[in-house]
Amino acid sequence: MSLRLSLVATTGLALWVGACQLDKDQKPARPVVHYSLSAATTALGDDGEPVIPSSAQAGIEGSLEMLFGTPQDPQFQLLPEWKDDGFDPNWPQYAKGDSGSGEVDPAELLEDNKLYWRRQLAAIDAGLWDRVFVQDFTPDLRADWNDLCANTPVEARNDEFKKAARELFEGYYPKLSASAELYRQHCLHCHGPEGGGDGPTAPFLNPRPRDYRHGTFKFTAVGKSVPRREDLYRILDEGVTGTSMPSFRRFSRAQLEGLVDYVRLLSMRGMVERSLVATYKEEETLTSGDTLDAYAEVWEKWQKADSKVLTYNGEVPAPTAETIAKGRELFMDAKRGNCYSCHGPEGRGDGASAFALDPETGEVKPTYKDDWGNEILPRNLRLGIFRGGRRPIDIYRRIKYGIAGGPMPEAAASLSNDDIWHLVHYVGSLSERPQHAKAADHGDAHAPEKH
Amino acid sequence: MRYLFALLLLLVPILGVWTFVEADRWQLWFPENVSSFGGEIDGLFNLIMYMVAFTFIVTEVALAWFVFKYSANRPGKGVFTHGSHKLEMIWTAIPAVALLFIAFSQMETWAKVKFESNFPKTGEYTKEKPIAELWASQFDWRVRYPGDDGVIGTVDDLERSYEFVVPVDTDVVFHLRSRDVIHSFFVPEFRLKQDALPGHTIPVWFRAEKEGIYDLVCAELCGWGHYKMSGRMTVVSKEEFAKRMAEIKAEWYSNGKEQG
Ligand code: HEC
Ligand code: HEC
Ligand SMILES: [Cu+2]
Repeated sequence: MSLRLSLVATTGLALWVGACQLDKDQKPARPVVHYSLSAATTALGDDGEPVIPSSAQAGIEGSLEMLFGTPQDPQFQLLPEWKDDGFDPNWPQYAKGDSGSGEVDPAELLEDNKLYWRRQLAAIDAGLWDRVFVQDFTPDLRADWNDLCANTPVEARNDEFKKAARELFEGYYPKLSASAELYRQHCLHCHGPEGGGDGPTAPFLNPRPRDYRHGTFKFTAVGKSVPRREDLYRILDEGVTGTSMPSFRRFSRAQLEGLVDYVRLLSMRGMVERSLVATYKEEETLTSGDTLDAYAEVWEKWQKADSKVLTYNGEVPAPTAETIAKGRELFMDAKRGNCYSCHGPEGRGDGASAFALDPETGEVKPTYKDDWGNEILPRNLRLGIFRGGRRPIDIYRRIKYGIAGGPMPEAAASLSNDDIWHLVHYVGSLSERPQHAKAADHGDAHAPEKH
Repeated sequence: MRYLFALLLLLVPILGVWTFVEADRWQLWFPENVSSFGGEIDGLFNLIMYMVAFTFIVTEVALAWFVFKYSANRPGKGVFTHGSHKLEMIWTAIPAVALLFIAFSQMETWAKVKFESNFPKTGEYTKEKPIAELWASQFDWRVRYPGDDGVIGTVDDLERSYEFVVPVDTDVVFHLRSRDVIHSFFVPEFRLKQDALPGHTIPVWFRAEKEGIYDLVCAELCGWGHYKMSGRMTVVSKEEFAKRMAEIKAEWYSNGKEQG
C-alpha cells in the first residue's frame, strides 16, 4: 500500500472515531414527556373556541399530572386517609384483605388466592418452597433465586432466609415506571400513550384497540363494573381471540402484573379526566377539592371491583343434545332470548336489527355503534371464535351480563340460570364441524373414526 | 507483496474453518436436538456442510496459490488460453453428481418426516385422531385439544393460547391450521418446520425425546407482528401430561369462583 493511501485511511478513521465521541457527548438529555388530554377535552365548540377554555384545560392537565405523574415517572398520589390505613396504591397489596397485619393464614391464602405473584410471596412466607415456581421467573430473577437457594438447604431456611427471598421477589416486582417502559415497547403502538386506543397502528385495526379511558372493559367477570386485576391479567395472558390483541404469556408473571398496574393507572387517569370535564361543564369552575373527590371516587370504584365478581354457584353443566335443542328454542324466541334479531336465525351475525337502511344514500349500514363511536356488528357465532374466551363460563358471562360498551344486552330477567346454560351450549354447538363423512372441503383431514 | 496477498487470501479458508470449529464452544451452533428424527436431519446438514467445506477449502487454497504463482510482479509474459472444454465438463458433472447424491440421501428422511403414509399408525395419536389442533393466526398460536368425546371440532373442545403441552417419548400427531395468512410452525429443537396454510388442515408428527420447554416460533413472514408471534412447546412426562390435561380441563369447566 502506498504511504499516501495509508495516511488518508488513518486520518479518516481518526476523524470518524472523534466524530462518534463528540456525538455521544452532545446527545441531548431525554426530554420530559407529558400525558396529553383527550380529544374530547380539547374539542372546539361550534364557535371555533375550545369548549373548555385553555386555562381550565391547563388546570386539568396539571391536576392529572399531580395525581398520576408523567409517562416516565407514573405514580399514584397518596390520599391522606390512605396513609392511616397503610394502603399504598403504588405497591399492590399482595393478598386480598391482608394489609400486612398478618391476620390471614398464608396457607388459606394460597388456596383462595390464585394470583400468581402474590402467591409466590405467600409461599415464601409460609415456607412452602415447592410452591415457588422457578420456571416462570424472568431469567435474572431465576438465576438470583437459584444462587440464594444453592447455599441454603430446605431445612435451614429460617426467617432470615425468608426475608431475603421476599426482598428478592419484591425487588423484582416491576415499578410503575418499568411497566410504563414495557407498555411503551409492546402496547403503545396500538393502545396509544394515554391508553386512548389511538396508537399509530390503531387506524389499521378492526376492531380498534381498547380505549381504556372510559374505564369500560368488555371481557371481564364483573359485568359492567370496572375490571378486577384478574380480569386484566387474563386478557394479557390469553389475548382476545379473533382480534389483533395478542397473548402476552411470553412475559414473566411479574411483568404481566406490572402491565396490569399500568393499564389500571391509565384507565383511572382517563376516568378522572372525564369526570373533571363533566364537573367543569356543569359548574364552569374546578377546585382542587373537585380533583381529589374525583380521584377518590374513581379509586373506590376500582377497589370495589373485586366484590362485583359474577360467578356461577354449582358445577358447569355438560352439553347434551337436549340442552342444545332447548337453547335453540330460546335463541329464536322473540320474547325470551331474542338473540336471532341481532345474531340472525343461524347465528351468522346478520340479524334483521343489526342493519338499517340509510334513507338518504340508500346504503345498508350497521345499526349499532359502541361507546367509542365505532360501528359494531353482532358477532358471527358460527366461527367458534369468542373474543372473551370460549370456556363455558366465559360465554355464560357474556350472555347473562351482556358486553359492556356495546349493544350486546344483558339476558332478560325471565331467563333462569339453566336457560342461560342452554343458550351457552347452543351457541357453542353452532361452530361444531360436521363429523359425518370425510369433510371433502380443503382436504380436511378431520375425518371421523371408521367403525 | 505477492506473499502478503497470497497469505491474506489463505486466511479466508483458515478463519472460515476456525469459526466453525469454535462455534460449538461458544454455543453459536444449533440448539440441542430433542426429536427422534432430528439426528438424521443434523446428519444430512453435516453431510452437506462437509461437502461444501471441502469445496470451499480447495477453491480458496487454489485462489491463494494462483495469486502467488501468477503475480504481476513475476518476470515473463502471460499466456492466452481459450478455455478448456474438458475442464468445463468436469466442473459441471461433479456438482451435478453431488446434487444427485444429496437428493438421494435425503429422500428417506424426508419421507419419514413428511409423508402421510409414514405417519404413526398404531400409537395413541394418529393422523385421524390427533392430539390437538394448533391454530396459527396473526399473531399468536392457539391449541385446541379434544374434550371427552376425543374428537376435535365439537362443543367440548378445550382451548389454550400460547402453550402446546405434549408428552415425551410418544409419537405425537397434530393438525396444523391457519386462520388468516400463511404461517410456519417451527421448533428449532425438534428440527421441524411446517407451513400452515389457510383453508388446509396439515397433519404433522414428531416424537420428542427430552422433557423441557422449547420455543415455538413462526417461520414465515406473516405481517407486521411476525417477529413477536411466539409460543411455547412444553414437553412433559406422560404422568405430568395427564395432570396438565386435567388442569386444563378443570380450568375450562371452572365456574369462575377460583379467579377468572
Ligand atoms: C396489535 C395491536 C395491539 C397490541 C400490540 C396490544 N393490544 Fe390490547 N387490544 C387490542 C385490540 C384491537 C383490543 C380490543 C379487542 C376488542 O375490542 O375485541 C385490545 C384490548 C385490550 C384490553 C381490553 C380487553 C377488554 O376486556 O376490554 C386490554 C386491557 C389490553 N388490550 C391491554 C393491552 C396491553 C397491556 C398490551 C401490551 C402488553 C396490549 N394490549 C397490546 C390491540 C392491541
Ligand atoms: C341488540 C343486539 C343483540 C342481541 C339482542 C344479542 N346480541 Fe349477542 N352480540 C351483539 C353484539 C353487537 C356483539 C358484539 C359485542 C362486542 O364485541 O362488543 C355480541 C356478541 C355476542 C357473543 C360473543 C361474545 C364473545 O366473546 O365474542 C355471544 C356469545 C352472544 N353475543 C350471544 C348472544 C345471545 C345468546 C343472545 C340472546 C340471549 C344475544 N347475543 C343477543 C348483539 C346482540
Ligand atoms: Cu406468523
